Amino acid sequence: MTNQQQPILKLSEEELVERLRSRDASVVSVLYDMYSPALYGVVLQIVKIEETAEDVLQEAFVKIWNSFDSYNASKGRLFTWMLNICRNQAIDAIRSRQHRVNTKTEDIEGPVVSGYSATEFKPEHIGVRDMVDNLNPEQKQVIDLMYFEGLSQSEIAEAYDIPLGTVKTRARSAVKVLARFFKGRA
Amino acid sequence: MHNEDYIASGILEVYAAGGLSLAEREEVERRAAASPEIRMALNEACMVMEEYASLHAVNPRPELKNRILDQIGASQPAQSSAPTIENDNVKQLLYEEDKAASPYKWMFAASIALFLLSGWLSFHFYSKWQQAEEKLASVTASEQLLAQNFKTTSLQLQQQEKKLAIVQDPGFKHVNLKGVEAHPDASLRVYWNPQQQQVYVDAIALPAPPAGKQYQLWALKDGQPIDAGMIEMLGKGDSLQQMKNIDAAQAFAVTLEPIGGSKTPTLEQLTVMGTVDS
Repeated sequence: MTNQQQPILKLSEEELVERLRSRDASVVSVLYDMYSPALYGVVLQIVKIEETAEDVLQEAFVKIWNSFDSYNASKGRLFTWMLNICRNQAIDAIRSRQHRVNTKTEDIEGPVVSGYSATEFKPEHIGVRDMVDNLNPEQKQVIDLMYFEGLSQSEIAEAYDIPLGTVKTRARSAVKVLARFFKGRA
Repeated sequence: MHNEDYIASGILEVYAAGGLSLAEREEVERRAAASPEIRMALNEACMVMEEYASLHAVNPRPELKNRILDQIGASQPAQSSAPTIENDNVKQLLYEEDKAASPYKWMFAASIALFLLSGWLSFHFYSKWQQAEEKLASVTASEQLLAQNFKTTSLQLQQQEKKLAIVQDPGFKHVNLKGVEAHPDASLRVYWNPQQQQVYVDAIALPAPPAGKQYQLWALKDGQPIDAGMIEMLGKGDSLQQMKNIDAAQAFAVTLEPIGGSKTPTLEQLTVMGTVDS
């Protein structure tokens, strides 16, 4: 959320959860301000089309609001939970358009996430470049296939003929590299 | 699997990157709930992926926020008893939908009913009209018949009255003409008023004349026959006929003559004859 230009009201995750649970609709605005750029960015990475991304984000926010009862602390972090809803919604959108196979096969060769970011250049995206240098291609591929293409670990293992264990270790090492990278930035 | 091995397997990172199925995800959540160690490792992985997501952050168009807030209804002030209100809202929406739909449904049903009713009424009144037309035609016909009958009857009545007047009039002399030898069944009656000189024939019972022939009435005055006119053979029944005026006569006779009559009677063809009582 470092890319927010205007000062926005931020609440702690506990506070957000509490107010969402008490059906305080005014908190949606805060939630939107805090998380929409990150959520929209991910959705856009997945669906690639702004119009679709907007629809997906809208549906996802409605779903977050309506099915907040199903969220509890055991589901983990609020943002991760919201991200999953957005990603599922986005993946549903592209799968319903039957774009999945095309994008999957096209994107293996090149850098997966650079497609959209290049057109919407932001200083933060320099970080993406740095990070790409830190991650090795195999690590990045596994993470991005999951995160931006909506493939499951088993689907990746099958489609790329890698053992399931290897998919997991690559994901783990990718996250470790990213963790170090973000720590170094902070 | 021990917690350390579980953490080291990379499944938490796959979870954070969204590469697990729902069942696999629930399994991870179960283990994380059971072990603070796993929970911590999972949260770390998730936070990293959140940061990764934030790297790709893009600000949506500002309009999107209002669109979303409007749909959620967040622009309205927060309510304390939210769940009930949500329920109410849902009900109200459905209710309003029903309400909006029902007049049309009702109108649709009503229009069908009206259509059927008007169709039935049209048929009903059409057949009624047809019946009425038929009745009117038959009534008109019978009325015409009745009028004709009335006319005939009143004509007959007129004749009868006239005849009655003649018969009752003491001024009229009744002359019965009897058939001659050749025609014993033939007969005729003549009413003659010497004052008014009027002559009528009645109760004609003459044999049917052959074609080209007609009966002619003669008045005999001092042995001289005077033409009293042709007798029309109108048919059966009463047929009072006025003949030519005769001022004086002792007898009347009828002869069969060619149509149009003759100047002098053909005596061979004498049919009936009668003398006037003095």
